[in-house]
Amino acid sequence: MKKSSYSNPVGTGRYTGLLLISPFIVGFLLFTAYPFVCSFVLGLTEYDNVRQPEFIGFDNYRRMMSDDTFRTSVGVTLKYAALLVPAKLAVSLLVALLLSAEIRGIGVFRTVFYIPSILGANLAVVIMWQYLFTSGGLVNQFLELVGASPVSWYGDPDRAIFVIVLLRLWEFGSTMVIFLTALKAIPKELYEAARVDGCGRIRGFFSITLPQLKNVIFVNLVLQTIAALQEFNAPYMLTGGGPLKSTYTVGMLIYDEMFRYNDMNAGYANAVSWVLFVFIAAVIGIMFAVTGRSRRED
Amino acid sequence: MKKTIPGAIACCCVLALSACGSRSKGSVIPPDGKLDKCQLRFSWWGGDDRHEATLKAIDLWNTLHPDITIVPEYGGWDGWTEKVTSQIGGGTEPDIMQINYDWLVTMSPDGDGFYDLNQLRDRIDLTGFDKDVLSFGEVNGRLNAVTVSVTGRGLFYNSQVYRENGASYPANWDELIGLGEKFNGRGIYPLDLDIQSGGTAWYLAVVYVQQKTGREFITMDGDLGFTESDIKEALDFYKLLEDSHVIRTIRTRTDEDGNAALYQSPEFIDGRVAGVLEWGSSVGKYESVLSEGVLEAGPLLSDGSGNDGGWMIKPSMLYAVSRGTKHPDEAAAFLDFLLNNEECADILGTTRGIPVSRIAYETLENSGKLSGLAQQNYDMLEKADTVTISPYMELARMKEYYNTAIEKISYGTSDTASAAEELYGSVKQYLEKIKK
Repeated sequence: MKKSSYSNPVGTGRYTGLLLISPFIVGFLLFTAYPFVCSFVLGLTEYDNVRQPEFIGFDNYRRMMSDDTFRTSVGVTLKYAALLVPAKLAVSLLVALLLSAEIRGIGVFRTVFYIPSILGANLAVVIMWQYLFTSGGLVNQFLELVGASPVSWYGDPDRAIFVIVLLRLWEFGSTMVIFLTALKAIPKELYEAARVDGCGRIRGFFSITLPQLKNVIFVNLVLQTIAALQEFNAPYMLTGGGPLKSTYTVGMLIYDEMFRYNDMNAGYANAVSWVLFVFIAAVIGIMFAVTGRSRRED
Repeated sequence: MKKTIPGAIACCCVLALSACGSRSKGSVIPPDGKLDKCQLRFSWWGGDDRHEATLKAIDLWNTLHPDITIVPEYGGWDGWTEKVTSQIGGGTEPDIMQINYDWLVTMSPDGDGFYDLNQLRDRIDLTGFDKDVLSFGEVNGRLNAVTVSVTGRGLFYNSQVYRENGASYPANWDELIGLGEKFNGRGIYPLDLDIQSGGTAWYLAVVYVQQKTGREFITMDGDLGFTESDIKEALDFYKLLEDSHVIRTIRTRTDEDGNAALYQSPEFIDGRVAGVLEWGSSVGKYESVLSEGVLEAGPLLSDGSGNDGGWMIKPSMLYAVSRGTKHPDEAAAFLDFLLNNEECADILGTTRGIPVSRIAYETLENSGKLSGLAQQNYDMLEKADTVTISPYMELARMKEYYNTAIEKISYGTSDTASAAEELYGSVKQYLEKIKK
């Protein structure tokens, strides 16, 4: 009797595998690889979105060295990332620990804490943030209620960046969910054995939870660092980069040079994008090296 | 096979790279003299009053021409230039566009950026347009756009606040400064100036110096007319307005409004800021957030001895047709409808300022719609010794230079002399570069 087998509708030829992944390959080539290469080529040109690009070699990269606005935007971006990333990881982990408790109705709390992440920096959220932090806003009203002096949030060049950091901090849901999933995966036996040996909750957190979460902490650190270094939307909507360029990120500079000024500087915007890309790749590379993740695990 | 695959990949890469830049200008589809069934996209920016009226006008068009459907694309001014720039760069711009005056410099420096409307004159009746007004839309001998209306910025005040405080609208610069003192202590500012996309702070300072010196800030050819000391005087004047409590400092303004536009600000809506400098064609958005009839036009400020020069006019906006449109005849027919159809003119009213099309103007005059703030502003500008704004003055990078200088002196991080030196150098250098 002939052994029955599943038939393959696309055959089992040499290129079947390629054929099967071709939708992804085509999409990747068209929407990722092609713009990626074009961006580098355009970074070597003087270009305004309308006329044909003019090749100028590495002039755009040389220009960055003497561009005060570029230097300012790099400083702002680094400051923003340094403020946001550790705070967001800490808050996300703290909330994840609270939400990992097995109590009735915890699913509702998990959903509520995740909602801000779905909203993003859209117009409604921005309007809400405006009414929270403007001089007559809810935050200052609260400060006055408790006897404190109102604070200049948007108008103070040293404080405006905190308004943006707070907005992104509020959107900790995705990071928190990753922590929560990892917390759930830690074997309960570890805690039980530790408790038998007289280990308290705090010691348990530092000796069991944190070591068990180290891979997830690293993943969140990488993801949040990339997002922070690419920040554009929140400062664009909330502060316009001001006051005195104190919230003007590299993302905003790229946008302005690419679309707003419209004066043969789109090539410069592409060059800055590439510098940002290489910088982010270097930062992530350093993170891998420092944590020993770049070594091959046998 | 082994050789063909890498070869094909290499060919694809070469082809792809050659297309990295802007879209190829390609050939322009000439008019064929027929109106075929099609769908056209029409985009504009503006406030709610303009959106509502334009949508009604499109409904009328769709009733009259069921075969040619108009798809509207509209929004606020902020970010609109960026949107259209990327559309034009990608070759996906709408068939008919409301464009800003300075876009002709940046998007069509050689006159090839938009459809040459001279080729569509059979469909667009331009006989009712003044020759000088039409010339605003000409680049390199090509009619890139048709002016919709001519406008200028004027001063508009919250009449209720002024009345309650026993103040009258200022007629000259000294009276304006005096108002600051009068309102001080009551938590009210008689006027607002901004460093946002409107950039009214620098605009009013320029008017002041132009009136005083008779020199244009930037000429129509794109030359800097002001000296460094003129720029310093303009910045000194701005600082005086802040110090005299005529306007809020940038810090106070930012603290109170965040990044919101003035007409969305509770400070303006609740009357704590009682005046605005705005284009006559766009004042509707300020008018609509106050009770009816509360916002009133004030006189254009003079030096007190009859000199009311220095105030500026420009085409408030223009209509252009995409050079890549597949339906030039149909786009031209719709353009003619927007400019010259009496019913359409009646619906649109003065939401884009006082129309320069004779047919539209007469329609509004006959129906008694030539009234309101836009008309009052228009009448005042007609009587004044105005100058036409150079399109170079409104370029986004130039506005960034003005706003940076104003912000620095407002925050005290630079004195007016240093800020003037920097602004003069930046503007001069940029104009030289952009005119190349």
